[in-house]
Amino acid sequence: MTQPAVRSKSPIASHPWTSTVIAVLVIADIWFTLYVPLYASATPKVGDFPFFYFYLMIYMPVTGVVLWIVYLLQKRLRPPGGYQGAAAANAEHGEVTS
Amino acid sequence: MSHVNYVVFTIVLVLFLVVTLTGFAAARWRRSEDMLHLNEWGLGGRGFGTFIGWFLIGGDLYTAYTFVAVPSAVFLSGAVAGFFAVSYTIMVFPIALIFMPRLWSVCRKHSYVTPADFIKGRFGSRSLSLAMALTGILALLPYIALQLVGIQAVLTVMGVGTTSTNTFVKDLPLIIAFLVLAIFTAVSGLRAPTLIAFIKDTLIYAMIIVAVFYIPTRIGGWGNIFAAGEAHMKAINPKTAKPNGVFIPATGNSQLAFATLALGSACALFCYPHAITATLATKRRDVIKRNMALLPIYSVMLGFIALLGYMALADKTTAANVKGPGKGNAQLAVPYLFQHMFPSWFTGIAFAAIVIGALVPAAIMSIAAANLFTRNIFKEFFRPGASARLETRVSQWVSLVVKLGALLFAIELPKTFSINLQLLGGIWILQTFPTLVSGLFTRWFHRYALLCGWLGGMIFGTIAAYKVANPTTSHWAGSTDIEFGHTVYIGVSAILLNLAISVVLTLVFKAIKVPEGRDETAAGDYTSDLEEAPAPAPAGVGAIAD
Repeated sequence: MTQPAVRSKSPIASHPWTSTVIAVLVIADIWFTLYVPLYASATPKVGDFPFFYFYLMIYMPVTGVVLWIVYLLQKRLRPPGGYQGAAAANAEHGEVTS
Repeated sequence: MSHVNYVVFTIVLVLFLVVTLTGFAAARWRRSEDMLHLNEWGLGGRGFGTFIGWFLIGGDLYTAYTFVAVPSAVFLSGAVAGFFAVSYTIMVFPIALIFMPRLWSVCRKHSYVTPADFIKGRFGSRSLSLAMALTGILALLPYIALQLVGIQAVLTVMGVGTTSTNTFVKDLPLIIAFLVLAIFTAVSGLRAPTLIAFIKDTLIYAMIIVAVFYIPTRIGGWGNIFAAGEAHMKAINPKTAKPNGVFIPATGNSQLAFATLALGSACALFCYPHAITATLATKRRDVIKRNMALLPIYSVMLGFIALLGYMALADKTTAANVKGPGKGNAQLAVPYLFQHMFPSWFTGIAFAAIVIGALVPAAIMSIAAANLFTRNIFKEFFRPGASARLETRVSQWVSLVVKLGALLFAIELPKTFSINLQLLGGIWILQTFPTLVSGLFTRWFHRYALLCGWLGGMIFGTIAAYKVANPTTSHWAGSTDIEFGHTVYIGVSAILLNLAISVVLTLVFKAIKVPEGRDETAAGDYTSDLEEAPAPAPAGVGAIAD
């Protein structure tokens, strides 16, 4: 990063598909627990768990997996040379802590 | 102290001593050259990686009050008032993933320590920043007090100090525990709760795994547990002539209440200054993103903790203990359940887990409140030229004062009062959400419009919460009320009002050209990251991070 790169398109604009998938995953993750009628029933029972309770319990590990995928996808949005702000941020931080 | 089980008492005492030593030793952990800086005392050097960050944020968000109050709410009224917490802790991570990495970046770039620092930099408004700081401190005080209520519940069931009528003598164990906490926090800063979080999480996980696999075998399996829950929720309460609670939210109104409680609480959680403090203590932007995916592991545990409420209903002795004549304190459901189900030595471990579980968040909350006071009130309005050294000293003392205030709260005021104030605290802190989150994405909103929106939301939320009544309580009876025929979480209706005011007044202020204030941040600041750990090089132990 010797030259301040010409400001290219934003990461979102240059990766439309990845960005869409990320948005869909995050929104779906919120929506499927926010929309209660979807799972507010006692049946079908899973083992001894009424469906309502089973659904919410199983949802948590699912959220973890979904958000990890989001994290991996977001890495692909990153400009190859790292963030431009990094060097400036480092300098400023050093100044403040000294 | 005649009913004290000495095995339980000894185990709790020994584990408490271990935690105390850890708390003081933490001052030497990852030590930097100049400890008298808020980045060190208040944010632990801003250098924690994914691994430590997970323990810190998890230990911070899941409080002793969670372990006591969520199951007690499930015990009392089932799904809508209690089990919504599971849906809430699912939603909180995708929501936080949207805005927390941006907050981290801009705060790191400009060395902001508190959310109010960011508001001041972004909107160039001291009044808006002061509003954020005051709301944060106001919401944190009852939250810290509730940690003490959690400890009190355990001490009560242990039979420690309940015989005397003198308040001071009665609560002496609690006072001692809290003084110890206050002192090691003042000395070690954020490093203390971070290190103790490892002990906390180990104990909590041991407790919950044993509880989940062992207790059902004692009380007839999960089928029996859910049957007891369902029977209790459907039974008619003689005082209200209505069912006790909701087992599965089948009606539109109960579903709306469930969803708005979950959504409102999820939006509120990362507006709490202590949650932001823990996040800002991490060393890279990626650490937060990874933790949003890893922290749901913690929530799995919360789901089982919530179900302890039904277990307490299914166990006749526990249910009788909690609801016995002259008792009626549902906060005791989990401690009684453990006491009846577990052998003494494991009861000791479980009780210690709850007590230590209270200390970690209480410490972080008092640090967060102290940072807000120092940076956004003391430095901003009284001593503009305060050095980093003075700031740290002031924060250390304020953290002590804040904790003493919370102690008085917990001892002097009736418990229901602290719980109501905590509900109110959630509604209040939610009113900072529009300013904080909109500020991270846009400068479209006018600073004074946001201030008016905040004020409107605060007033409406407080009055609405005050007016909630039920046949047994005349005021502060809950956190949902009826708006236009729908049962909604008050925090959500207040934030909608807040947003409406902000939008309308922004248009008005822009039309009449009220000055907008200087924005000291740049667009790139919100996505910037450090390529490697910042300057203060941690010694030795740093290797386990990442």
